[in-house]
Amino acid sequence: MASLLRSISLGLRSGLAQNSGILSSARRLKHSEPAVVEETRPTVRKPNTVQRAHFIDFGRYVAECLPKYVQKVQLTAGEELEILIAPEGVLPVLQFLKDHHQAQFSNLVDIAGMDIPSREYRFEIIYNILSVRFNSRIRVKTYTDELSPIDSCNEIFKAANWYEREIWDMYGVFFANHPDLRRILTDYGFEGHPQRRDFPLSGYVELRYDDEKKRVVCEPLELAQEFRKFDLSAPWEQFPTFRNANPATEVIETKQAEQK
Amino acid sequence: MAAKEPVKRVIQQVRPILSLDRDEARRRVLNLYKAWYRTIPFIVDKFDIPKSEEQCKSKLREMFLRHKEVSDVRVIDMLVIKGQMELKECTKQWKQKGHVMNYWQETVEPKPADFLSKFMSGQN
Amino acid sequence: MLRVPLTRAICLTHSSRVLVTASARLQSNIPAKAPEKVEVFIDDQPVMVAPGTTVLQAAAQIGVEIPRFCYHERLAVAGNCRMCLVEVEKSPKPVAACAMPVMKGWRIKTNSEMTRKAREGVMEFLLANHPLDCPICDQGGECDLQDQAMVFGSDRSRFTDIDHAGKRAVEDKDIGPLVKTIMTRCIHCTRCIRFASEIAGVDDFGTTGRGNEMQVGTYVEKLFLTELSGNVIDLCPVGALTNKPYSFSARPWEVRKIDSIDVLDALGSNIVVSTRTGEVLRILPRENEDINEEWLSDKSRFACDGLKRQRLITPMLRKPNGELEAVEWETALIGVAQAVQNAGDKVAAVAGSLVDAEQLIAVKDLLNRLGSELLCTEQKFPTADGTSGTDFRSNYLLNSSIAACEEADLVLLVGTNPRYEAPLLNTRLRKGYVHKEQDIALIGPKVDLSYRYEHLGNSSSIVQDIASGKHPFAQRLKSAKRPLVIVGANALSRSDGKAFLAGLHSFANQLTPEDKNWKVWNVLQTNASQVAALDMGYKAGVEEIVAAGPKVLFLLGADGGAINKDNIPKDCFVVYLGHHGDNGAPLAHAILPGAAYTEKQATYVNTEGRAQQTLVAITPPGMARDDWKIIRALSEVIGTSLPYDNLDEIRDRLEDVAPHLVRYGRLEENNFYAQAAQLAKLQASSLQGDIDVKQRTLADFFMTDSISRASPTMAKCVQAVKKAQATA
Repeated sequence: MASLLRSISLGLRSGLAQNSGILSSARRLKHSEPAVVEETRPTVRKPNTVQRAHFIDFGRYVAECLPKYVQKVQLTAGEELEILIAPEGVLPVLQFLKDHHQAQFSNLVDIAGMDIPSREYRFEIIYNILSVRFNSRIRVKTYTDELSPIDSCNEIFKAANWYEREIWDMYGVFFANHPDLRRILTDYGFEGHPQRRDFPLSGYVELRYDDEKKRVVCEPLELAQEFRKFDLSAPWEQFPTFRNANPATEVIETKQAEQK
Repeated sequence: MAAKEPVKRVIQQVRPILSLDRDEARRRVLNLYKAWYRTIPFIVDKFDIPKSEEQCKSKLREMFLRHKEVSDVRVIDMLVIKGQMELKECTKQWKQKGHVMNYWQETVEPKPADFLSKFMSGQN
Repeated sequence: MLRVPLTRAICLTHSSRVLVTASARLQSNIPAKAPEKVEVFIDDQPVMVAPGTTVLQAAAQIGVEIPRFCYHERLAVAGNCRMCLVEVEKSPKPVAACAMPVMKGWRIKTNSEMTRKAREGVMEFLLANHPLDCPICDQGGECDLQDQAMVFGSDRSRFTDIDHAGKRAVEDKDIGPLVKTIMTRCIHCTRCIRFASEIAGVDDFGTTGRGNEMQVGTYVEKLFLTELSGNVIDLCPVGALTNKPYSFSARPWEVRKIDSIDVLDALGSNIVVSTRTGEVLRILPRENEDINEEWLSDKSRFACDGLKRQRLITPMLRKPNGELEAVEWETALIGVAQAVQNAGDKVAAVAGSLVDAEQLIAVKDLLNRLGSELLCTEQKFPTADGTSGTDFRSNYLLNSSIAACEEADLVLLVGTNPRYEAPLLNTRLRKGYVHKEQDIALIGPKVDLSYRYEHLGNSSSIVQDIASGKHPFAQRLKSAKRPLVIVGANALSRSDGKAFLAGLHSFANQLTPEDKNWKVWNVLQTNASQVAALDMGYKAGVEEIVAAGPKVLFLLGADGGAINKDNIPKDCFVVYLGHHGDNGAPLAHAILPGAAYTEKQATYVNTEGRAQQTLVAITPPGMARDDWKIIRALSEVIGTSLPYDNLDEIRDRLEDVAPHLVRYGRLEENNFYAQAAQLAKLQASSLQGDIDVKQRTLADFFMTDSISRASPTMAKCVQAVKKAQATA
């Protein structure tokens, strides 16, 4: 651990950090990336191998520093770092990433939710954070279900206040110790959480102005018109053998993973 | 007491929302009920709704009894939290008259149940 | 070895414009002595295939689809698009996978540099003369050229029209009211030419010129007159041949596709109904090897615009002054219920040609509860006094199944024109004729069946001669290995149909085919509802009803004209239950609007006895309702509620009556041939007069039922055919 930090500070001192990016010392740490064939096709985006190497090393470093909370570190779309953590670890991990001198992810860009009903913990909560110092963006992901509360990170990032209200409103995930948890997008008296996958596209109720009652009334929905449905299965995928897309996610080997 | 043991163990395994056991949850429910009960005169007064206090109280009772079968402490907590939010929306007058009146669902016509009325109205 | 000339197909065609006369599939039909399999490697994956298999087929066996335009598995191999070029190790040039049989130990590379370059080159040549009008092309979104250009084409263009010479342009052809041609888009795959000459049997298409001047067309201005013309639209890999009535109406990705069953003939072809915004836009065939392969007849495909016209959308009651008045359901049902209650047990029902099994069972249950047994179908079937010809299922079914018809070696058609009564059965017979040495003979008027047949005459005495074994053809039938006798339902509905049934059925039973399970006796039904109705115990023919003089008569979509003003009592209260205001509706005192086959989930049994169900593609228009629900509601108003409220419950009832009606997609074995023949024999009588068929020429084909009679496209077809016949 100490040697690792030393090597980092060495790297910083030697001025390698001038080109932006976290942990420029990456070049010094041995990384086991296979040599990537250089992309020459003009229509295909060229992978940023430097950035990628930095992220791989940084992901390993985070996993080593917080072995209790970090469950998995992965790259998506080639060069986007994701840190998958246990729900108990939201506060320590975010605090670490915000305050660590080599990370400085001081800006919470967004909190997103995701619902996969087939999973045991059906919701994923995704924190998008930005390090202004190193011009770097990563994601922190955790999971929960309908009834397990997640700690509010409002004390760490003030921006979290409305984002967490939005998640609560859209998915019904409860944030413990939130100063002002209430609905933010839906109407007063609205029932249900619209972004859940089992919530129908049309909702359960419809509102209309009732001339007799002289007010807006709320009634169970009866669909008068069918939805326009698009058949989006791409017809040119009929030759899947000829498609060789990049893998969606690549797991970065960490020490925890080896122990398991 | 013996019957309570397994229940407790389950509770301890998952992270509680607010209450640690049934008694605490029950206390929260009663507190919420009392809070609503005491707010009803103000609601009737402020919202200009064509309902008397008695009607509101019976509606309140009905809304609480709707969930009388719920036994999971965490579900009870969740319902209490949502009830609390509703109460706040009422007392702060964020809601409007229509929102409050929606508790009664007066304009909703019951769906046809037997074959012939379903046939006549063209519903399946 | 691979290209065996189809001598019979050649001798059919009188012109010399036969382009392609080879069939790779014929190969598999020649029984070889346990062919030794050879091993080839597709992308280094070993696969064992029979010798003579093409590279493309071998690759398909391990799931590698080689791109192609001209190759189609049901057509002869042409090998002219070159899209399927693949590299074979140690071969200096790429080979055309669709036409090249594999050799032992070949290493085929379907994704190598050479293969990819060959594909890009072919694609570039094709696109050099293909217009870039995809935004206004109806094929857009389901276009093979588009899709394959996306996957296999080069990602940049070398096409620079520096002289502003423009791309090649070809004049469009007028080939009829169904198929629209934009010949500039044609890539000369010749699939349409091969389909016309091999499957449809009309050798109208061909190519003229060569090189850049090559054109697909009819040479002289001529309509593509066949009952299967719509299939070239599906076959065309680009937008050169498109659906004329459907043109510019929707894109394939925005329509809903619902699997269903066609009911305009008795074959029950499987279809896909495309709908958008509550309208049926087009109907496409769905693959089913047992019934329609992947073809569809023009009536089934194009009559769908008849579903929008002439529809009954509101219940109606006849006022005392004789006018029909639109009323609410409640009023209509009470009006009908009163009439039924006053009639006592003098209630009758006639089932038309498009009625589903659910409605049939509901009506039967209702009438039985009222104490009446007067349930008939419009079309007659010979019934003997006392015993019914419909007691045995094998009497009225196409017993040998549709798919088996191509396996027969000798076929006798009696009083039927399968080309127009069941076009897809006719393609099976033609397939047997062309590929499997099948011989066909016909008793009835001389018609064009698209293949050669032996015309035995049209006198019904020939039938008698054959039945008694006097006719020389009887001997040939006896010596045949797999003989078939196919009798048209219309021939059996003659007044002396009994004699047909008795004579031919017992004769068919005497034959001893090689295979013990081979069924000789076949009836080709023409109405989609007939088999289900007879299965359920409806009586065939309306004589009994006419004789009984009912007080209330239910017409279940009965538009065939069997019931008219003159043969029912004057005070008879007629209730018309159906979806089109056609021949039956003007008789009615009450009209209850029902759902057409695209609007309900309903069971139909086809002529081979296979139960299949349609699915709901759109909701019935206006106040129209599911037919069986109308009967169920009426029963409640009358006061004897039928015991089913939903589809599951009525299907349970169907299962109680006849279990095969809910075993969808399955073919039930039939039995009791000997007993059926014996019973029929007791009633034998003599035959007189000539045999006729209702549909002789293409003009008779298009409008045969209430849906196709309401279709403007079908009307245009009839006009076009009549005009073409007048000028020819």
